[in-house]
Amino acid sequence: MKTKSFLQFVGPSVVMMMLLLAAPLVITFYLSVRNCAMEMETVKVEESTPFGLKETITQRAKLDASGKAVQSCKFVGLDYYRKVLGLDDASPLQDGPPPDSTASAAKGIPAVSEKAGNEFLGALRFTLVYTFVTLPFVLVIGFLLALGVNSANPKLKGAFITASLLPFIITPVVAALSIKWLFRDNGLVPYLLSFLDIQVFWMAQAWSARMLIIVYGIWHVVPFAFIVLYAGLQGVPQDALEAATIDGATRWQKLRYVTLPHLAPLIVFITLIHMMDAYRVFEPVIVLTQGAFTTSVQYLTYHILLQENNPFKASAAAVLTLIGIVFLLIPLLVKTWREQKKGV
Amino acid sequence: MTVKLNLPRRRLVALATVAAVAALTALVPGVASAKCADITGKGDINIVGSSMPSVLHLAKEMESCNKGGALKVAIKITPEARVETERAFGSEGKSAFDAAVISGGVYSNLSAKGQLQSMTDLVAKYKTKYKIEDNMLVKSNGEVMAIAYQQNAQNLYYRKDIFDKLGLKAPTTYAEMLAAAAVIKAREPSIDFPIAQTFAKGFDISTEFVNMYTGFGGKLFKPGTAQPAFNEEAGIKTIELMKSMLPFMTPNALASNSDDVMNQFQQGKAAMGVLWASRAARMDDPAASKIVGKMEFAAAPAVMPGGKSATHLWWDGVAMPKNLTNDRDVVFQVLMDALDEETTKAGNDATIWIRSVYKPTRFGTGVTLSMRAGAPVWPTEPYVGLATGELGKMIPEALGGTMTPKQALDAAAVAYTKAATEKGFIK
Repeated sequence: MKTKSFLQFVGPSVVMMMLLLAAPLVITFYLSVRNCAMEMETVKVEESTPFGLKETITQRAKLDASGKAVQSCKFVGLDYYRKVLGLDDASPLQDGPPPDSTASAAKGIPAVSEKAGNEFLGALRFTLVYTFVTLPFVLVIGFLLALGVNSANPKLKGAFITASLLPFIITPVVAALSIKWLFRDNGLVPYLLSFLDIQVFWMAQAWSARMLIIVYGIWHVVPFAFIVLYAGLQGVPQDALEAATIDGATRWQKLRYVTLPHLAPLIVFITLIHMMDAYRVFEPVIVLTQGAFTTSVQYLTYHILLQENNPFKASAAAVLTLIGIVFLLIPLLVKTWREQKKGV
Repeated sequence: MTVKLNLPRRRLVALATVAAVAALTALVPGVASAKCADITGKGDINIVGSSMPSVLHLAKEMESCNKGGALKVAIKITPEARVETERAFGSEGKSAFDAAVISGGVYSNLSAKGQLQSMTDLVAKYKTKYKIEDNMLVKSNGEVMAIAYQQNAQNLYYRKDIFDKLGLKAPTTYAEMLAAAAVIKAREPSIDFPIAQTFAKGFDISTEFVNMYTGFGGKLFKPGTAQPAFNEEAGIKTIELMKSMLPFMTPNALASNSDDVMNQFQQGKAAMGVLWASRAARMDDPAASKIVGKMEFAAAPAVMPGGKSATHLWWDGVAMPKNLTNDRDVVFQVLMDALDEETTKAGNDATIWIRSVYKPTRFGTGVTLSMRAGAPVWPTEPYVGLATGELGKMIPEALGGTMTPKQALDAAAVAYTKAATEKGFIK
């Protein structure tokens, strides 16, 4: 192919990728090494509300001549990365600006900083557990569903497919809410269990809260694996299956040596997508327990962005999340890369 | 990938909005015909607000100004109203919204950043026309920066029928509440967990903490500074008090938000607790409640004998950004038209209105009683949100037993100090 026509073909998607992938990444990284803050000054304000008059000493932004708040921005290097990872020195709690690490060490405060580091590690640990526990269930249940629907009565196939896809179609927040409502006090599951004299409070301890999130994850993503594998089953070469039958292969052998190898690339594909999605698990964490007993990496970014209202630090957390995904995907990407090379 | 990353949040917002609107429009009574015919001026006005019943009521009124003329009004109802307002009002160029319905907490942030515009002259000009009442005015150093229309507070809910049956009185302190809880637990078989309160991680538990902490006389910050002061004795006492409530609450308490607590009351599974007054009317909704007419409301209990009601008063109102796009005079008229006496009367039961024409219902008694029992106004320093954000994250660790109260409060203080330093509040 001529270079010119090659560029014409590739150009549009390169431009799109630059705009939609590369540019946001670069901007996020740029934000993560900077910090902007308004210049605040301490003032006495007389505030009057429907509940009466009150004088408070508070802080106000310094305003410039045009009435806009004065902002000061500076380069902070990797400070925010250290903070998100809990690797920074704990700032002392006493008055006065100079951070004196020996004084805080004497007060035993570094223990708290360790806790902050543990927070990120804890979130990372749960995120990884979620990712790797849900993955095999998603693949196996999805595959079994696909096999089942594939051999179902053709008249019923449509209904089966629709029903199987429902959990995937439902919006994650609504889906997580419905799981929560099943398991909360007076919910259907505790109610039914009460007939068996079993009383479990699902959001009262770490193991059950985590289990609910994992159950949600499996239930929500299985249909994705199902539909991809079901589509794959339609393309399994019938002649190979017939040849195997003639050679006397059992059903299991046909599945093991013909069907599964044919579906292998799809299994890799599902694994890739699910790992990327699972690593960003967020909705069930926030909906089911509001983060109690369980935090995910994405939940931390959310907390920094909305509670601390700090887009710069949140950018650092986002970049770290991305680095995590890249690490997770390296083995699979290497495998895909090798296969692509072989294919050429 | 980029698009995908954004999806969950947007889905969340869109769905929550749809659900909220669908659920709440049923509750809001019909609105009287529009009266904005006499608004002079034109413009394409955009307003943002959250999905509270009262905002939906006002939104209908504002949108009735759309009559195909030169004046167009659109209201965006979203659970993310706080974030959208702060973004628009703080943007470099013109604000996407000409006005917003905001809470006192959001007002403090915007006002501290100098992003609100004074309405003093407009109030003077239109005071008679729209009968703007003096206690609706929110002033900062004498300048009117917002117009408030409703109040809200967390107050005590208690099952009058059960209390009467057992000869108990509505508790005025947390000690009395715990004593009553013990009696109910022992003698009322239908109630497994007498107390229900919003102890969920995040906003819910941090609000409860600040309510009780202030009740103990604690101050969140060292006087005149943004330095944290909550990791001291009153903070520890607060967490100890919260811990002593846990045996009387569902083991799921650390995941119980306002929805869950409301549900426990409606299902008749809890006998008392402090909850937002804005949920009170739902106790008598026969479609969702098994306890219609049985719930009574009182002042939030004090944390110590003779103390003030351990809750805070909140107001909601409207404000305009400095960087608005349309004519401020027209925007102001649209807002005041929606907040006039007629709208208040038409939506009397939608909330606890500030206007004097409001006829209080029994659902508002808890707020009035809390106010009389000395409940303070929610703190207004612009760094309060940073402190409650970190408290909301760490207190569950202390209640769950993975940290001591002191450790949890110290950890919150360290995290808060960092966040406040990054934002320039602590030098």
